[in-house]
Amino acid sequence: MATTAPTPYRPAGFWRRLRQGNPSEAQLGFLMLVPAAVVLLVVMFWPIVQVVWQSFHFERLNLPAEGRYWIGLTHYERMLWGSEMTWSLSNLLGWRLLALAGVVALWWAVRRGSLRRSTALWWTLGMLVMAGLLMGFHPGEGGRWNDARFWNSFSITLLIIVASVAGSFAVGLPLALLANVTSRWRWLVRVALLIPWAMPRVLVGVMFAWLFNSTNGVINDLLRRAGIEAPLWLARSDPAVWATNITIVWATSAFVGLILLAGLQSIDESLYEAAEVDGASPLQRFWSITLPLLRPAIAVALIFRTLTAIQTFDIPFAMTRGGPGRTLETLGIYITSTTNNLNLGYAAALSVALFVMSLAITVLYLRWIYTED
Amino acid sequence: MSRRARPLTRVLVAIGTVLLIANGTFPLIWMILTSLKDENELIRTPITYLPVDPTLRNYVQVFDQLPFARFMLNSAVVSVSATIVCVIIAALAGYALGRLNMPFRRGILTAIVVTSMFPALVLLVPLYRVFLGAEIPVITQAANLLHTLGMTFMPVDLGGPNLLNTYWALIIPYVALSLPIATLILTSFFQLIPKDLESAALVDGCNRVQTLVRVIAPVSAPGIVTAGIIIFVNSWNEFLLALNFNTSMSMRTVPVGITMYQGEFAFPWAVISAAITIGVLPLVVLILVFQQKIIAGLTAGGVKG
Repeated sequence: MATTAPTPYRPAGFWRRLRQGNPSEAQLGFLMLVPAAVVLLVVMFWPIVQVVWQSFHFERLNLPAEGRYWIGLTHYERMLWGSEMTWSLSNLLGWRLLALAGVVALWWAVRRGSLRRSTALWWTLGMLVMAGLLMGFHPGEGGRWNDARFWNSFSITLLIIVASVAGSFAVGLPLALLANVTSRWRWLVRVALLIPWAMPRVLVGVMFAWLFNSTNGVINDLLRRAGIEAPLWLARSDPAVWATNITIVWATSAFVGLILLAGLQSIDESLYEAAEVDGASPLQRFWSITLPLLRPAIAVALIFRTLTAIQTFDIPFAMTRGGPGRTLETLGIYITSTTNNLNLGYAAALSVALFVMSLAITVLYLRWIYTED
Repeated sequence: MSRRARPLTRVLVAIGTVLLIANGTFPLIWMILTSLKDENELIRTPITYLPVDPTLRNYVQVFDQLPFARFMLNSAVVSVSATIVCVIIAALAGYALGRLNMPFRRGILTAIVVTSMFPALVLLVPLYRVFLGAEIPVITQAANLLHTLGMTFMPVDLGGPNLLNTYWALIIPYVALSLPIATLILTSFFQLIPKDLESAALVDGCNRVQTLVRVIAPVSAPGIVTAGIIIFVNSWNEFLLALNFNTSMSMRTVPVGITMYQGEFAFPWAVISAAITIGVLPLVVLILVFQQKIIAGLTAGGVKG
């Protein structure tokens, strides 16, 4: 009896529909996402899980007899804490705790409803940056930090983030405005915007090291002709910071310009005409039409610029190898050199610090975008 | 705006445009000029702007001092393979996200945007261990887990092949690093293709796969070229992983190889400039040919900054 029972109607199964070459849209979609998902899971997400796991382990490939074993939070203790840390206002720990208390107070005010969330966000960001800079520029007051080199690279990275992001916007916005109004030479303008983007960052660094060469570089030659005293750009830390940031700004402002240009081109021309009829000056038009409507493009460029600035490695490496000394060593250079010293456990912990930093900035920006819109 | 602009504004815009073009092209032009100069001319003060006695000797030196042709070959093999693999995977994903009616579409897109923000630096240590042969991702961990659960038929600390100093060590991460951006570009590109095209093909009796191969693939060629160029440029330019994974001279890529011309204290700038000029030639050609496509792709995907 059971064998002759008619089979009830069922929609065609997954594999059957697929064999017939006629899967449903969702089936086909998920099937097409499989390769991308596999690649991203194995090569992007899994390594991030692994790097966190690795950071709790001792592993030095130059000490193969030691092997790899669990050491818990030791790496983080070495990185973030000092051996003689004391709780007082006279050292920088006190100031940092004060900053922390300030951040807590800010967000308490937001919860009570007496402060706008976006205001608190910007103050928080500012305080974190200030605290970070203070931390790094005084690494340890007599070696109090266990790893002064980490704090130095951390503060250099922060400095490069602030200076180069601001710089690339200061240069990128005029580039975009110019590229938007130029009608002749349009292809040349496009090429001039694309070359800095397409150049390998290392080679940009090498190129600018030659341009900034103190005796035979073209920049110092132009300065001398203009009667300005030409500095030894890459031999001392202060001018080297400037030279590095100028190079990073050159390499990145064109990209910012391209993103802003796309934003500018999406602005409706009739808005300007209406404003002109109402008698608004060019500056007023810029402030009240261009800038507000450019906000989404600015946000996109800002996020990408900041996240790439955190990883700054190629340009300082190519220009000075993180020098003079270690004064221009970014977090990226520190991680690489730790990896090259085959201390994979500590390099993993440093990578986690970098990842947390970029994650925090992503979250801050995303919250900023979502709260404002 | 510019049509009714006053003469003064037009002059200012013209000056600004000249500055913009100079800003973008001058460093490269300076490199080309430097590469044509003699080593002795470079250390002369005051410096010369145009080469007094143009010579191509530096270009010969580039190939004599280091195996530069090999660097070019390595870069080409790695970048082209990464581009082909990445474009295929990204086109599939982009088609699914851009055209098909899928559940969780927005969620998946957000996940891809977040992935594109992952710093490549974080991949350095874990991928180094994997390529060293210390572990096979997922499988080694599974074996260890089974071992701790008492199933001792698999070896502990299962290792894989040593992939350092092979093309695989670069192709695999380059595909993954460019994949989120390529997917975003292609998703936004596929959204622009009119939906009617597909329905017409379906009505005419094509099934979905045939529609994809015969109708959508030809129309989407420009988008695929755009994504491909951007992946190629990213892969050609990558430095960090290439520097650390492929350390033998015969497996270096162009950006890494060029940094090898400088010694501890000696900087043969003329040779370095010549090497840079050759090394960025493919990129400059791509820009000159495909400028509009690249800009369209960059603004669609928001690539690197």
